[in-house]
Amino acid sequence: MTKKIRIALAGNPNVGKSTIFNALTGSRQHVGNWPGVTVEKKSGFARLGEYEIEVIDLPGTYSLTAYSVDEVVARDYIIDEKPDVVVHVVDATNFERNLYLTTQLMEFGVPLVIALNMSDMAEKNGTAINRVMMKKFFEIPAVRTVGSKGEGLDELLRTAINEAETSPHHEHAIGYGDRIETLISELVAVLGNDPALSARYPPRWLAIRLLEGDDNAREKIEGSPVRDAALAVLAKSDPEETEAVMADRRYEVITALLPQVCTTCVRTMNSSDLIDRVITNRWLGIPIFLALMWGAFELTFAAATPFMAAIELAMGYCAELVGSGMEPAWLGSFLGDGIIGGMGSILIFIPNIFILLFLLSILEDSGYLARAAFVMDRLMYSIGLPGKSFIPMLIGFGCNVPAIMATRTIEDPKDRLITILINPFMSCGARLPVYVLFAGAFFPANAGTVVFVLYVLGIAVAIGSAWLFRKTILPGKPAPFLMEMPPYRLPTLVTSIMHMWDRGSMYIRKAGGVILFGALIVWGLASLPYGVEYGSAESFAGLIGHVLEPLVAPLGFDWKIAVALLFGFVAKEVVVGSLGVLYGTGDDGGTLSSALLADPHLGPVTAFALMAFVLLYLPCLAALAVIKKETGSWKWTGFSVVYGLVVAYTIAFIIAHVGYFVTGGI
Amino acid sequence: MIMESMPLSFLSPGSDATVMEIRAGHGLCRHLVSMGILPGSRLSVVCADRGSLIVSVAGTRYALSKGMAMKILVGQIEVKAQ
Repeated sequence: MTKKIRIALAGNPNVGKSTIFNALTGSRQHVGNWPGVTVEKKSGFARLGEYEIEVIDLPGTYSLTAYSVDEVVARDYIIDEKPDVVVHVVDATNFERNLYLTTQLMEFGVPLVIALNMSDMAEKNGTAINRVMMKKFFEIPAVRTVGSKGEGLDELLRTAINEAETSPHHEHAIGYGDRIETLISELVAVLGNDPALSARYPPRWLAIRLLEGDDNAREKIEGSPVRDAALAVLAKSDPEETEAVMADRRYEVITALLPQVCTTCVRTMNSSDLIDRVITNRWLGIPIFLALMWGAFELTFAAATPFMAAIELAMGYCAELVGSGMEPAWLGSFLGDGIIGGMGSILIFIPNIFILLFLLSILEDSGYLARAAFVMDRLMYSIGLPGKSFIPMLIGFGCNVPAIMATRTIEDPKDRLITILINPFMSCGARLPVYVLFAGAFFPANAGTVVFVLYVLGIAVAIGSAWLFRKTILPGKPAPFLMEMPPYRLPTLVTSIMHMWDRGSMYIRKAGGVILFGALIVWGLASLPYGVEYGSAESFAGLIGHVLEPLVAPLGFDWKIAVALLFGFVAKEVVVGSLGVLYGTGDDGGTLSSALLADPHLGPVTAFALMAFVLLYLPCLAALAVIKKETGSWKWTGFSVVYGLVVAYTIAFIIAHVGYFVTGGI
Repeated sequence: MIMESMPLSFLSPGSDATVMEIRAGHGLCRHLVSMGILPGSRLSVVCADRGSLIVSVAGTRYALSKGMAMKILVGQIEVKAQ
């Protein structure tokens, strides 16, 4: 018979919890080299012998107070769901800092196991942690693990199972000194009079949190019959002072025990210092960031060209097969215009998306992106955004959905709301096909630079909007910046490719799913009512387009673009898919870009205005759903739609008209 | 030898200091403590630019903006030759 056990992984940010989680459960959760990649708990399953083990990856936190949303998620899970064992994942290269969380986890009274992760790196640095002594002093078993190589994981599971099954429910407690201990016991006695409360929350833990003046803990005793009695005990001490004494005491314990368990916890200055001095330099910081980004886009174009040519060739071949005299004619059109024209026009851009994501993964894995956030902080702060919001903005280059979720690490609610609202302006991978198509067709010599300019435009609009929101609807000062800088690591080819695949494979699935679906609807609208010339002004697509055309005509867009933009709301790649269908590129083997170049309504200026419009006009359906979820408000969700449309229209209008005036062409 | 306290943001790269006092709200104090930044902890300044710094505390590197660094009062221990 199988036995079931639940294990929660807790730990500081960036200690490799997700790596261990992935290795244990065989899942492929994203792992990043910056704090706060996991902001929502994730669960998966592992097996060992007769045990079926549910593993829960909690967000990384420095403590289990309620400082930000991710801390609340981690803490509520441990309290409410009561996992059988909590595995505290510790960065062995940085042992001392991690122990503060250990002292807090001890207070929950749940069985604990420590995973000394990244032990290989610690040993290379000469750090040796004595696990026997650890068990003796902390009464917590410790296991040596190397998550990235899968070392020690079976032992970790065995130890966790052993703790869950055999270990008596003991409290590993820190003594806080006579005065505070007296208060704690008084409170524990009082709380014990409410059986419901003390069954739900470990009494000692709740007492400690109350004494520390934790608002979240205070809410938990509201409505309890012992509330007044508890408050009477609390009135005997000053929470701020008590908290300081308790924090000191925790660090005293850590400092006293550290030499016993880790005789060689060495601290050295290393090459990271030198690199930090250069790339965060006052004058060099921002230019280095811009140069790296520009390089990434240029390289994306250069490296993707042969792949694109190959896919284009294959698509042309398929189109020729179905285009040459297939009967009945509508089937030929369905396969040629609908499927190959719609989905094929997206597949061509997959190499671009993958190469850009690969380059971003390298920048992230190396530890650079966290520094970029620090470099941008001064600029961000002056316009009213905390530097921390730069990380969600960078994640937005991949996809806005995880980016908006990543705002959970931002503590201040207003800071967080602003960061959410500006995120859709960060140009995600789904918009890249639109740029590659139009920049490649109309700016063949400078395509990389044009795309770089669009990304910078996105950042500029985001920053400008943040400034505007601060001045008007969300006044206030951003919280000062404080973030851990991960160590520099040499990214390995395998992990960078894995990250690229994690983020990029979604675009392939989308191409076969929502994009194909959208393209087929557009094909249907372009073919019906029965008997009309395909894609002509008399088709349904033509009718819808002509209704919308007056709206977008001031921007220089015609009805085909209006239809594409309408369906692009579902997902921005659909813009390209729809154009592929409407221009009917599948059947004659011609490419969409040559069809666009041949269209007399389109020129470089209009193309640029269109790219800017697609960048800014609407969060896609998935992004809107996550905005609703994270803000919990239809009002702000609606606001982001309206605001995006207004900004996109204004900027595209300016680009189009200034462009016509300056260049004299379209 | 420990000198009188000053805001962390006044330190120059390469200097070592001991945290004397944190002048911040409750929540922020608590957060700093959990990151290992509390009265008595030693830190060294890796780089500094107009008040923003990257400091190293117990082997971990933190980046702080000037606003944050102004809240942390430190006593400088020594100034290494630049």
